[in-house]
Amino acid sequence: MSISRLAFSACWMLLAFAGAARGEPYLAVQQGYACSSCHVDPTGGGLRTDFGIVFAENVLPATGLPSSVPAWTGRIGDFLRIGGDLRASWNRTEAPNTPAQQQSSLDQTRVYADAAVIPDRLDVYLDEQLAPGNARTMEAYARLNSPTTGWYLKAGQFYLPFGWRLQDNTAFVREVSGISMTTPDTGIELGFERTGWSAQFDVSNGAANAGTGSGHQVTAQAVRIAGNWRLGAAASFTNSEAGNRNVEGLFAGVRTGPVAWLGEVDLVHDAGFPEGTRTLAAALGEANWAIARGHNLKVTVEYYDPDRSVSQDQQTRYSALYEMTPLPFVQLRVGYRRYRGIPQSDPENRRQAFLEVHAFL
Amino acid sequence: MATKQSFLLSCALAGAALTFGGCAGNGMGLDQSGRPLPAGGGGDGALTADFASIQQHVLTPICTVCHAGAAAPQGLRLDASNSYALLVGIPSTEVPSILRVKPGDPDNSYLIQKLEGHAAVGARMPFGGPYLDAATIAIIRQWITDGAQRPAAAASRGFSVGTVVPAPDDMLVDAPTRLVIEFDGELDQTRLDPSSLHLEAAVNGVAADAVPSRRAVALTVPTGNARALVVTPLSPLSPGRYRLVAGAPPDTGLAGINGVRLGRDDAVVLTTFEVLEQP
Repeated sequence: MSISRLAFSACWMLLAFAGAARGEPYLAVQQGYACSSCHVDPTGGGLRTDFGIVFAENVLPATGLPSSVPAWTGRIGDFLRIGGDLRASWNRTEAPNTPAQQQSSLDQTRVYADAAVIPDRLDVYLDEQLAPGNARTMEAYARLNSPTTGWYLKAGQFYLPFGWRLQDNTAFVREVSGISMTTPDTGIELGFERTGWSAQFDVSNGAANAGTGSGHQVTAQAVRIAGNWRLGAAASFTNSEAGNRNVEGLFAGVRTGPVAWLGEVDLVHDAGFPEGTRTLAAALGEANWAIARGHNLKVTVEYYDPDRSVSQDQQTRYSALYEMTPLPFVQLRVGYRRYRGIPQSDPENRRQAFLEVHAFL
Repeated sequence: MATKQSFLLSCALAGAALTFGGCAGNGMGLDQSGRPLPAGGGGDGALTADFASIQQHVLTPICTVCHAGAAAPQGLRLDASNSYALLVGIPSTEVPSILRVKPGDPDNSYLIQKLEGHAAVGARMPFGGPYLDAATIAIIRQWITDGAQRPAAAASRGFSVGTVVPAPDDMLVDAPTRLVIEFDGELDQTRLDPSSLHLEAAVNGVAADAVPSRRAVALTVPTGNARALVVTPLSPLSPGRYRLVAGAPPDTGLAGINGVRLGRDDAVVLTTFEVLEQP
């Protein structure tokens, strides 16, 4: 396929659909793969590997493309790989004592590129957000790989590894930990990827220290990956002008027949509050039922305690989401979320119905 | 073996989910932000175009869900102690050429752009919704148009004084190195003016309310107890009678005490005490 045709295909896909390119960790649990099997970034998300593209074309969707349609490879020549990610949604939110809101929005438009400067040894990776708003670099880093030993060194701006890298950045565990795909950080990462293990150690500025010129963050994560289960632990320490912050997390996944289960528990000790140190806790339980090829039903239960020393302030969130992948690189999601919190807070008791359209390359 | 492990792990995950489900708090004894109510109940009323009201109705209950603590996005902590200082006249980190709040110019204030969803960078706030309605944003706009004045609501509401050390009419053998006053609400260290309180000493044994001379003090809100105010005399107190007086300008954090709205001509005596001559 010529470069111009590839570029045309990429633009067509990006413009024709709206969607998100990120696979979700439940897919890794269902299949028993490490994140690095399908994603160029060893910690998951973003640009796909050859295997990830083949999986997205042939395993994930309900139906494949006709053989007459040329297969997308993401490759431009031997050294450059590109991809993209769009997401659009419609949602309706209802909260007590508040007029209902509904809106359609283009939530995300991203392009990815990975240049194999020295094949299998040195890569330069870029994740650029084009919308909403002006262009913004989310990730830009160089990664030095040692294929024989499994070690790699990453330097630049990237997402820190902590717990499940969920597509839903509003999940309690992602908001409470402060580490998600909305909070890239600048630093270095030493990682290890071998069969059955994935581990990272990061030293970074701390995303919340942006603009202060001081402070740092140290993050570590280790995951044991087996055929139908995995177990991980993560910890992060942030030093900032606001105060020090410790986050500890445990997360696990297991497959039982057609259901992939995910769980995560995070505990936060944060000295950045006016009254002193506050201890927060968040938990996630998720079940993904692969009803049929290209059809997934996701149910999540979440818990959030914003201050362990205050009683009766806890919040919960329940979600039911039907996810359909009718064709390669296109996903439709329809879902409902129910938040429950203290009765005097209207936003903590909102309900959301949403429809999302995803497309990715 | 693997099947047994999977079964146990899935049971643990399902059990955890069921345990957590239905655990939302009933909110008893809490304000709308989920924080314990101060003694005597919390402030209430409709949203108005002053910062204290915006803090109470918008920033604290909605924004501090994420924008609080050491991991606040962009380092922007919007709790009552930090929000004004980190918002007004401070460049945004996403677009440093735009101030978060530019007094008098809501259109060019990044806060408004983020709330209305037309900021140059990033997602509309509150992240993930629900978004503020037009009427609420209009009130925040009005506050900025009016010059983004410092909070004055605490002054108008004022504080009630609880415990004071030394207690009124105490007679002390040793001169105190610090005085402590406990209020019924949280103080904002950033808004404490050195003139908020002063220590008056009687002259030559004359009654303290005769011809007082003022002693310089430092005011501190201790970490971990924002309802307490520590008053530290900057020089040792010699034997004699003293009184601690609040008489703050109305734009500082102690402009109302025990129901008295303090001005430059009004004062409230918080305590009187005497340091005895050493035998």
